[in-house]
Amino acid sequence: MRPKRQLAMVFDLNKCLGCHTCAIACKTQWTREEGMEGMWWTVVNTLPGQGTPKGWEGMGGGFAPDGRQRPSRIPGREEFGDAWQFNQKEVLFEGTASHLEPRNFKGEKPSWGPNWDEDEGAGEYPNSHFFYFPRLCNHCTHPACLEACPRGAIYKREQDGIVLIDDQQCKGYRFCMEACPYKRIYYNHVQLVSQKCIFCFPRIDQGVAPACARQCPGRMRFVGYLDDERGPIHKLVHQWKVALPLHAEFGTGPNVFYVPPLSPPQVSATGKPDPSKPRIPLEYLEGLFGPRVREVLGVLEAERAKKARGEASELMDTLIVYRWPDDIFPDFRKDPATL
Amino acid sequence: MGMQVTRRGFLTGAGGAVVLTLGYLGWRARHEGGVAAPPGSASLGHGTPMPQVAYEGYEDIWRAKWRWDSVAKGTHFVNCWYQRGCNWNVYVKDGIVWREEQSGTYEPIDPKIPDYNPRGCQKGACYSQRMYDGARLRHPLKRIGERGAGKWQRVSWDTALTDIADKFIDAMVSSDGPSSIVWDQGTAQTNGGAGFAMMRASLVLDTPVLDVNTEIGDHRPGFCVTTGKMVHCSSSDDLFYSDLILIWGGNPIYTQIPQAHFITEARYNGARVITISPDYSASSIHADQWVPVKVATDAALGLGMAQVMIAEGLYRKRYVQEQTDLPLLTRVDNGRFLRGSDLAPEGRDDQFYVFDLAGRKSVEVSKKTLELGALDPALDGEFGIDARQGKLKVRPVFAQLREHLRQYEPEKASALCGVDPETIRQLARDLAKARAATCISQSNFSKYYHGVEMERAQLLCFALAGQMGRKGAGYMSFPYLSIDGVDGIANLGGRGNPKLQLAALGLKMAPRFIADRLRGQTKEMTIYDMAREEFRHGAFPPSLLWLYQQGGFKERYGASEKWDPAMKRPLASYMDEAIEKGWQLRPSTPPRIFMESGGNVLRRFRSYDVMIEKLLPRLDLMVTIDWRMSNTALYSDYVLPVAAWYEKDDITWATPLSPFSQVVTRAAKPVAEAKSDWEINCLLLKTIQRRAAERGIRTFRDRYGAERGFDVYDQFTFDGRYTEDNVDKLLDLILSVSTNVGDVDWQKLKQKGFQRFTALGDNSFMNIGNATDVKANETITAGLWHTEKKMPWPTLTRRIQFCIDHPFYEELGERLPVHKDQPNIAGNYPLYMTGGHTRWSIHASWRDQKYMLQLNRGEPVIFMSIQDAQARGIRDGDRVRVFNDINSTEMQARVAAAHRPGQATCYHAWEPFMFRNRKSYSTLTPNPINPVQLAGGYYHLQPMPALFSPGSTDRATRIEIERVA
Repeated sequence: MRPKRQLAMVFDLNKCLGCHTCAIACKTQWTREEGMEGMWWTVVNTLPGQGTPKGWEGMGGGFAPDGRQRPSRIPGREEFGDAWQFNQKEVLFEGTASHLEPRNFKGEKPSWGPNWDEDEGAGEYPNSHFFYFPRLCNHCTHPACLEACPRGAIYKREQDGIVLIDDQQCKGYRFCMEACPYKRIYYNHVQLVSQKCIFCFPRIDQGVAPACARQCPGRMRFVGYLDDERGPIHKLVHQWKVALPLHAEFGTGPNVFYVPPLSPPQVSATGKPDPSKPRIPLEYLEGLFGPRVREVLGVLEAERAKKARGEASELMDTLIVYRWPDDIFPDFRKDPATL
Repeated sequence: MGMQVTRRGFLTGAGGAVVLTLGYLGWRARHEGGVAAPPGSASLGHGTPMPQVAYEGYEDIWRAKWRWDSVAKGTHFVNCWYQRGCNWNVYVKDGIVWREEQSGTYEPIDPKIPDYNPRGCQKGACYSQRMYDGARLRHPLKRIGERGAGKWQRVSWDTALTDIADKFIDAMVSSDGPSSIVWDQGTAQTNGGAGFAMMRASLVLDTPVLDVNTEIGDHRPGFCVTTGKMVHCSSSDDLFYSDLILIWGGNPIYTQIPQAHFITEARYNGARVITISPDYSASSIHADQWVPVKVATDAALGLGMAQVMIAEGLYRKRYVQEQTDLPLLTRVDNGRFLRGSDLAPEGRDDQFYVFDLAGRKSVEVSKKTLELGALDPALDGEFGIDARQGKLKVRPVFAQLREHLRQYEPEKASALCGVDPETIRQLARDLAKARAATCISQSNFSKYYHGVEMERAQLLCFALAGQMGRKGAGYMSFPYLSIDGVDGIANLGGRGNPKLQLAALGLKMAPRFIADRLRGQTKEMTIYDMAREEFRHGAFPPSLLWLYQQGGFKERYGASEKWDPAMKRPLASYMDEAIEKGWQLRPSTPPRIFMESGGNVLRRFRSYDVMIEKLLPRLDLMVTIDWRMSNTALYSDYVLPVAAWYEKDDITWATPLSPFSQVVTRAAKPVAEAKSDWEINCLLLKTIQRRAAERGIRTFRDRYGAERGFDVYDQFTFDGRYTEDNVDKLLDLILSVSTNVGDVDWQKLKQKGFQRFTALGDNSFMNIGNATDVKANETITAGLWHTEKKMPWPTLTRRIQFCIDHPFYEELGERLPVHKDQPNIAGNYPLYMTGGHTRWSIHASWRDQKYMLQLNRGEPVIFMSIQDAQARGIRDGDRVRVFNDINSTEMQARVAAAHRPGQATCYHAWEPFMFRNRKSYSTLTPNPINPVQLAGGYYHLQPMPALFSPGSTDRATRIEIERVA
């Protein structure tokens, strides 16, 4: 069943600070319970990088062009990065350990975490490159997880298209984790159910923006209905067409869109810039966001140039966000403290 | 007894300023109108109608998770400095803080520019978890094992305070007197109860508080030398007026998270962003150009740019003539300024001259204004002048500089800094031609051995380009702007009504301000004069000098000549000279008691291990007051648990970057036995008074030999007016005498959580450096008093001053800005260890927080380049040994394409207890004192609180890294 409306997010990668305030906002809001410690429903990856879970882009899932499911696998607990334990009390209050150390669920020193390759990037100095890439459930139009669930525990809300797992119906078979090509579903090893981003629907229902968006100090998470022609989502996705889906070829119709990253041009060994050479390889960005990346980056530059000349640009004004929250999530402006 | 009046002259001076402004107090409310209502509150309920929600069983479970009992305002009074001050709603459920979320209620300032919402960062967003985690202090603890062993006995408050009070009394009546009790102020320095309490406790007890700013390395010494002040910064929304933003000497994407959106949004507004840094940093990725510069060579880059601006005639001539010392005449024979004393026996040493091209003669420059009128001061040329000794050849500083800078022609500068000559030219042209350029710079170059020169070079570029003191144009130096009522009150002497005392003091001090004004001093200069006079009394010994003289650090910090081959005499010789001439203080009392209040010296002091080895064994007592077990707490005799930031009422300090006074409030009760800082200080003073009476000890002698009573609690509380039971009343008092937050009392501020500043205020020697008016609907642009009102700068020449003809500067070859090679600090090793504040903690306050660690590697790391790693057989994630002549430590290697070969970076503030042998990267830093920072006795080059005493120099220490098998 098609929902009446679809909620979506646009992430402007040119405003992302990589600070993870989104991830922490989500963590303190929803995933502090037992079995959820290792969950980061939203997390910021440094790209190029292996991401969360490690190497997720190569794990498969979603649909092939012919509509058939692409083979995949369930990411493991260590690939997600787990939740480590620390010997704080032993070091600080009991005098039984000399220094603080992390231990994973196996009692070993961790070798991967949800943000393990932060700020490393690729390329060769001085033409190194990286950018920040926030991720969460895409609340897809054609959710592979939903189709894969033999329990029928996954559904798409009629009023706004939010994809939810009913964890009273879920039996923890994890077909959804296998099917999701973005690998944004976690397994709760205590409650024995699959869990993921709920688009903060309890907040949405009250007119409050999702925690990750409302708490984003970079003001880069736009939220709204795709069909709201006055809203920033529609403007960025449909009107200006500068917000692109991630791996559209996965065939699930993601409803999170990204404004691709500009970057300073490449430089000579002594730092002399060559404006003809983009720092982040175009092919890399096209691999993520499809063939329109070059065109979109061109639009962004052209509109910026207008602003620099003192001319008007609706696109730049939309991305700037003069008035928060009105300009960034106009339908979800409520301050939760006033509820 | 009257001793306090003389003791804190500058603050009584602040009192003097108060009286000048008391007249404002009555009517200032009328000037505070016109503030727009918050957009959120005005528009609530007017958005898209709520969808009809079909409640289902499962969804209701999730809805039920999002519930709370109460909401209170809060923030974090941790020292996050440049990025500080965010207004949070703190949600409380079942008596404990459940979570926090930014309130997002900052009013728009200017309709044309983005607003400040929502402000916050990931650290603040998990303080609710941090405050209850395994590091939290819940009960007073007494050490029962070796220092640092983590063995404790829980004791009652009464037991702890009685023992501490007895040791205080013993020290105070000992031959060393109260000066042997030293406080470190740390992050508990607020503009409310906590900060007030420490200031006042140290006043009443006559116990010194360390002036930590230079030791931290935040003191912006090049800016200070050049402008006579440290504080000078615009609001971060002022960036929206810039068309060129240089990020040079900072990493704001890590360290200014709440306001970094102004950078990205200014870029969308058409501004060009250029980041200059050795590594491809997080702040480089959002730039239009990244300029890779060799580590510690930024002065060469800047001087290369300056050379281009002069050679190509790109400088803004009228700005240079009016605001800088570049037109001032200097003697060709010795390079020094031509002074009044050169011309006549009765001539003044601080009278300077320009050659007026209009009148074809040399003329005295005004000390009272920068206004040039019809004067057209020459920048080039050589002139003859009749001096006392006969004919003297003179030329403007500019002409000297033009010649001096030839050594930095782009090709030559490029050889030093590694930046392409064409790029140096392009940067110079871009800066000179920009409509409005801002330099985002933080306390980074401060921490380099030759940081003075790096900042001077940057300022030379900005001054030549005239990119200061206009909307969107400026150099961001040290940001500070806070309510100004607390210092004056904390430092009032008597037990009587503080408001009456302030008024009386004001009357007493007013004549000085009037007399100074008549002789051409600005109020800023008079306030600094008072601060300098006060500083000499030693109530705030600079911690680095204190460590050098009394902490056992002389060999470590004073070995500068061992690393710096350019020094012709040892550091000790400069130190002796500086002390002998009265340029710098010499802390002379051996410490007996060390009180750590919110800081963390055993993490912060460079080579803190020297303190453990040499100072701690000599102490009678070490106490840490904190909410968490810091490394310093771990080595203390007593640890006193303080209320967390959501468990007490207080007002924090702030900066113009985010120009709002912010509060913390008691959202929930303090856990277990924790108490607020204010309450702890009250109780300590109360216990000292009680124990002295019980022991029959009535008086002690202060540092001037005067006898003082042990009625310390009565003094502290103004005879019981403001006590542990009524902090509200104290906060109301502070607000009532503050002159820069409008008409707000504690209840109003507590409800709202913040209040935008309305002015710099008249009572703070820090605020005034911003030198600008604060207007209700405008961004704040630092320095408009200089550019628009033509107010002189507080330097010897009353101008932005690039020629420093001080004997130390001359001896060290730094009279004009120069590049000097980074010495091989800590030995001849191939890698530079750089640093910088981390994204993941504010100092150490979140370093061992589980989420922050989970989003890292869970342990201390050092970043290095792929090339350096490969050459050493190191792979990402390997355990490595980092070492030099000083020490050795182990960390995990992070190998990053973004890192510059030759550079390895250990970001700030890993706690020593996170390292295998408790030796952090800090133990590798010998932190040599640069003798140039000992200069004094030269009008603006004189120590005062927070500036002009020598600073730390840990950046670009030499290291080697090897894989641990």
